[in-house]
Amino acid sequence: MGKIAGRHAAPVSRPVRVSLIAVLAGSLVTMTGCAGVFVSNWDARPAYVALPVPHVPVPRGRIAAVPEADQDVSAPLPVYLIIPAIGVRTRLIRLGTTSAGAMAVPSTTAVAGWYAASPRPGAIGSSVIAGHVDSYRGPGIFFRLRLLHAGDRVFVVRANGTLAVFKITEVRRYRKSRFPFKRVFGPVPYAGLRLITCGGVFDYATRQYLSDVVVYATEAGSAGT
Amino acid sequence: MLSKSSIRNVLLACVVSVGLLTNVAPASSSVDQHDGWLRLAHLSPNTPAVDVYLYDFGNPKAEVVLHHVSYGTVSPFLPTRAGTYTVAMRAAGAPAKSAPVLSTAIHVVAGQAYTVAGMGPKDGLRLVVLPDDLSAPAGHSMVQVIQASMRQPKVTVRTQNHLFGRNLPFASATRFQSLSKGSYVVRARGQTESATRKVELRSGSIHTLVILDTTKKLKIVNLTDAVGSKVVPATAPATGFGGTAPVPGRPLLPWAFMIGAGLLLMAGGLVSLRRGRQMRPHEG
Repeated sequence: MGKIAGRHAAPVSRPVRVSLIAVLAGSLVTMTGCAGVFVSNWDARPAYVALPVPHVPVPRGRIAAVPEADQDVSAPLPVYLIIPAIGVRTRLIRLGTTSAGAMAVPSTTAVAGWYAASPRPGAIGSSVIAGHVDSYRGPGIFFRLRLLHAGDRVFVVRANGTLAVFKITEVRRYRKSRFPFKRVFGPVPYAGLRLITCGGVFDYATRQYLSDVVVYATEAGSAGT
Repeated sequence: MLSKSSIRNVLLACVVSVGLLTNVAPASSSVDQHDGWLRLAHLSPNTPAVDVYLYDFGNPKAEVVLHHVSYGTVSPFLPTRAGTYTVAMRAAGAPAKSAPVLSTAIHVVAGQAYTVAGMGPKDGLRLVVLPDDLSAPAGHSMVQVIQASMRQPKVTVRTQNHLFGRNLPFASATRFQSLSKGSYVVRARGQTESATRKVELRSGSIHTLVILDTTKKLKIVNLTDAVGSKVVPATAPATGFGGTAPVPGRPLLPWAFMIGAGLLLMAGGLVSLRRGRQMRPHEG
């Protein structure tokens, strides 16, 4: 700049000054834009990469008989849930309903809960168990629920020590607005189990997942079929 | 230039994270998904035990055989794929190839449950298909009554304040009736015999009450057909806090505009500088 000014030995003319200012300002604006791109993305993070599935052995114990329609005795309370295929082994807490008419969810992401308004696992009807897919920091108890397949076994240990054994028939994901309330919570004529967690896209505006993952299972029975 | 490669990287990251987002969808697997349910019942008091065969329509190999089904027996609901089936009854122990005593066709619709019952006296035995009701209004239970007592051909079945049916004839069934949840004492009264039974009806449950003859008196059997949740939640459960969800970058468009505007400004400045320099020699 000084060189140019020195060569002509005269003050820089006005149009030249304007052009120089434009170049300077333009480079500043461009640099700010680039910085903005970096800042916008420096906390972007890809989906959580799963750790290896912990080994959970298939439980042993007396397997409860498939319920009969004319039994009046209710099934014992569920106390433990074991899903060897995805390394889940958890205590089951009881879940009620919230004042807003929603199903309560466990207060911690480390346990699953049995919806106490649903039939007990192993009784006739569709029993419902829910668990969190994740916490604010990492995986929850049902992080791998969506990885289950038809045919995988689910074991529920009941208060009297017996096992209710379920076989998965279907794994589905639904948008919250299309959640199949009747299929999940409605009456069914067999001993069934539905495992629920969240899934799909997480909406950072409402801090909620936009979908639910539902695993459908039916009691496999004493024959172990 | 730095900004170009960084933009490319950022775009790449975006594409990758979008890919990851769409990849979370589990493969919907519907292997072994049964569509409807069927149960078989023997409700004819003077008919000896039978073997009940269930055939896929037109297929001579029986899908299910229930052996030695005697009066008062109702099987559990058997998961059955949607389609047409034949139910046949043979005398207990009769060869599978012998002509059945009785048979009927039934069409199973997905999501529906049916009771196929042998009803009536032995010499007027018929197979009746009773579709089940698999939904109950909130706070209610649905109940039907099957009157299968021959000794008391007219039976009135009621609770203290609900009448299921007056003088229900032998071998008939009522429609499903809605009762609010609670415990009830159900009374069945024929001309000379009666029976009572305590019945617990939870909301979201479906029941069938069967009136049977026993050697001495009437009997009420309470079958739990289907059970759902007592309270169906209004919203889908929220079971995640996002700790494992991919975090997308914030929108880049405003920054891209800024970079564009800056580059334009720079280009404009450079062009006018050069033009000024080219013009000066002419002036001088």
